[in-house]
Amino acid sequence: MATERNAVDPVADNVVRQFARAAMLAALMGASVVVSIPIPLSPAPITLQVLFVFLAGLVLGPVWGPISVLLYLVTGGAGAPVFAGMNGGMGVLIGQTAGYLWSYPVVAALIGLIVHRGTALRDLRRVRLPILVGALLVGTVVIYAMGTAYMAWLLEMAAWEAITAGALPFIPGELLKVAAAVAIVRSGQITPVRS
Amino acid sequence: MLTFEPDETLAHRLDPRTKLAVQIGFAATALAHTTPRALLVLSALTAIALVAANVSLRRTLVAYRFALLILALAPLIAGVAFGPPWIDRSDAVASGLASYRVLLILLVSAAYVRSTPIRDSRAAIQRTIPGKPGQILGVGVGLVFRFLPVLRSDLRTIREAMAARLGTERGAVDRAGTVAVLGLTRAFNRADRLSLALQARCFAWNPTLPPLSFSRADYPVLAFAVVLALSTFY
Repeated sequence: MATERNAVDPVADNVVRQFARAAMLAALMGASVVVSIPIPLSPAPITLQVLFVFLAGLVLGPVWGPISVLLYLVTGGAGAPVFAGMNGGMGVLIGQTAGYLWSYPVVAALIGLIVHRGTALRDLRRVRLPILVGALLVGTVVIYAMGTAYMAWLLEMAAWEAITAGALPFIPGELLKVAAAVAIVRSGQITPVRS
Repeated sequence: MLTFEPDETLAHRLDPRTKLAVQIGFAATALAHTTPRALLVLSALTAIALVAANVSLRRTLVAYRFALLILALAPLIAGVAFGPPWIDRSDAVASGLASYRVLLILLVSAAYVRSTPIRDSRAAIQRTIPGKPGQILGVGVGLVFRFLPVLRSDLRTIREAMAARLGTERGAVDRAGTVAVLGLTRAFNRADRLSLALQARCFAWNPTLPPLSFSRADYPVLAFAVVLALSTFY
């Protein structure tokens, strides 16, 4: 049996802690596909994935937030049942909903950057409400822009056709998720962890 | 639900890197070609992949039913035209062919999922992607997969507790917020214990990986994957 002889290169303590949180948040994102909350006046129930993408940017910041979302995507690509409908596999990362999925790391980074104004994490209770709401709305717009654009290209649909099928039915749910994320931050129940 | 199932098929014996290469090659060429003739060839290849991994077509289609709904609706929506004759056949056919190739890509990835345990994918990621990004992704995938059932049961506990206290009568924002805050709190408590455990076990950037090796069957399949990828440009 071959043996490897080289010095151990231990991971720094603060990196281990942030990495463990990123991995747990990714697992939580994957676990949340089983939770769906019906809402009135909309055919599509709320799922919590996007809420956790928001929270990844808010709590883990613009560096570890996207890493967390990326871990979620790669685990799904490797075959774990973490995507909508308890599916996994690389096909989902290329298929018609791939635009939404690949927008998540971008959105986590974007929200983290807007809210924390850089890579050093700030206390979320000090973030002004318009900035918080604005960041979350920008994130939502990016998710649907990337999602519908990719869907339109992949399935050879016109832009308005993709928007009708891939964005309009979900808008009420998205606004509720933004409201939920704002309520969570305002309640002060979560704080970004710096180390 | 699609997951890994232990078996003795050809696909199960292949190295995960070979299978990843085949998937990438297949997806690349499927995204570049939507002519009926190309789709016929791709369908045959898909059939071979499904047989090689002993995938049940019916069960896979059931697992992908939500995705199939959108794929089936796309040509209908694309075919609608404002004004007589109200239906544009060429648009609908173009969208239908495009949707069909997505179905083929999903089926080929189902063959990968059934024939590859997560720990093999993890080893493939960690060996293929160099340096610290590869380590973060590889170890991360292992941890996410390990903690998935744990956090799923956390969420179930939270929801049962909410239901017992009539939480289901509350508004959607309130419910989503409660599940998210409690889920996150529990997950981060687990993360703190996990990071302590990782440090105690000397978590390093250069860990020992599970062994992977190419067998004789891998080389022709790998060569085929390269051919598939190159066919994107023709």
